[in-house]
Amino acid sequence: MKPGRLIAKAVLALAGFLAVFPLVWTALNALKNNVDIITRVPKVIFTPTLANISYILGRDSVLTGLYNSAVACGAAVLIGIVLGLPAAYAVARYPNRFAGDIQFFVLSLRFLPPVAVAIPLMVIWLQIGLYDTLPALIVTYSLLTISVIMWLAIPAFQGVPKEIEEAAFVDGYGAYSVFWRIALPVAARSLVGAIAFSFVLVWNEFLIALMLSSSNAKTLPIVASELSQQGMNVPWGILNASVVLLSLPPLLFLGVLSGFLNSVFRQKKS
Amino acid sequence: MRRRSSLPVTFLVPTLAILLVLSMVPTLYAIVIALQNRELSAPGYSWVWFSNFADLFSDRRFLNAVWVSVKWEIVTVVATMVVAIGLGVLMFEVAGPRLRNFYCLLFIIPVLLPRVSAAFVWKFAYHPLYGIATYPYRLITGGLIFDPLSKPGSALFAVASVDVWQWGLFFAVIVLKLLETLPPQPIEAARLDHAKRWQIHAYVTLPMLKAPLISLMFVKMIESLRSFDLIYVMTRGGPGVATETLDMYAFSQGFIESGKVSYASAMAVLMMIATVITFTMLWKRVQA
Repeated sequence: MKPGRLIAKAVLALAGFLAVFPLVWTALNALKNNVDIITRVPKVIFTPTLANISYILGRDSVLTGLYNSAVACGAAVLIGIVLGLPAAYAVARYPNRFAGDIQFFVLSLRFLPPVAVAIPLMVIWLQIGLYDTLPALIVTYSLLTISVIMWLAIPAFQGVPKEIEEAAFVDGYGAYSVFWRIALPVAARSLVGAIAFSFVLVWNEFLIALMLSSSNAKTLPIVASELSQQGMNVPWGILNASVVLLSLPPLLFLGVLSGFLNSVFRQKKS
Repeated sequence: MRRRSSLPVTFLVPTLAILLVLSMVPTLYAIVIALQNRELSAPGYSWVWFSNFADLFSDRRFLNAVWVSVKWEIVTVVATMVVAIGLGVLMFEVAGPRLRNFYCLLFIIPVLLPRVSAAFVWKFAYHPLYGIATYPYRLITGGLIFDPLSKPGSALFAVASVDVWQWGLFFAVIVLKLLETLPPQPIEAARLDHAKRWQIHAYVTLPMLKAPLISLMFVKMIESLRSFDLIYVMTRGGPGVATETLDMYAFSQGFIESGKVSYASAMAVLMMIATVITFTMLWKRVQA
């Protein structure tokens, strides 16, 4: 083998190692006692303990955070599906002179700096008495999920072969049943990817949740970040365990999202 | 031909109306707040018009935050693209189909992590005494302390490295997929002309991918603006103001230090105007 090729392979292997090793290390630390974490020489062999994990799973703040995250993200994604998918279908299949503007408008929502949205929303929610509640968080997140789902679903619907839909029209289906029975099932795989993507985005969201909640509606990322501020005696093991807990749900979508990426680029080819 | 149907109206109008309300109300209200002198602790306020904006330009910390934000954008966008193109081309050249799939799966993992998680993972890793990333340095130097997060000169780069870890590896996957969609003939032709592998990519494949690569860069520019969580967890804008970006400074002015909501909002409005103008112009050029 040529040396250039060997170096290239080594670089790739190193990158692959760097991609996952920090995470593996965090997961290991979550299973360590504090003494085994605070060592000058990193310990690979140690007696594992479940104390950290059971500690965070037993804490009310963590459970509340988990519940808040699940409800806020779940509801926002649901709203995103209900409002975003039909709108995307209409843009993809019923072209009008506003289609380009609509797509640009939806994308431009992504440019808005989160601080710029969060500050006024905080004042508004305070004034109508919904500050620090889940509904306020859900409505705010819906802006994110609707626009992301719409943005990703437009190409997915455009990828559905027009002939199938035409055939259904000929068979006497109405416009709505074509959407329900043809377009949705045919595009389903890409749509699931788009929905998973929007879920990961809101699950990972931090700034808006930080500014719109003070005690009741805190999501898991906020709770996790607060664990780190417990004075000088940092509970490293517990922190690592909470990082693992926070990271698990998005990682569950790994397979879905990598399949989604593949399908997106396969469409471009044809 | 398709019959006229009510579908586009019933499907589009409610969604667009909701999106418009949800985005315009806070946007307009941000401007209103920026023109007043609201504070978190006090309920009363009055209109001060542009004095918040005027104050900003004599605020040295604000000017520093602008500079840090610009540095942050340049460092993260450039490094992400370099890593992505480098690794994407390497995968394309030396990895077989199965190995490619394996690397793709590995490289997507970091970007799926919540930024808060990523920030914590690396905050531990960069710990001067117990960190795994600083361990090689301690090992080689016999226990000298290397503390990248608390030095003004290196803190920004240390935080940026986490951003590149998340996005650069992910974009490498996309670059690989883009390379795979290219027709093989021009590559074969270049090979017959005895072009070296790097020459093929520098002069043939990457120029063919110019448009999607620019779009990718555009996406990264937008994403780089939302790095608040990373900086918040890793350095809180410190040491001093070395990593204080605009959103970090707006947040600390509005909520941590003084509760000057209007002042923070003025900053946010300026950011909003700057990003909307920049990205609208860029988008139109990318599309053209």
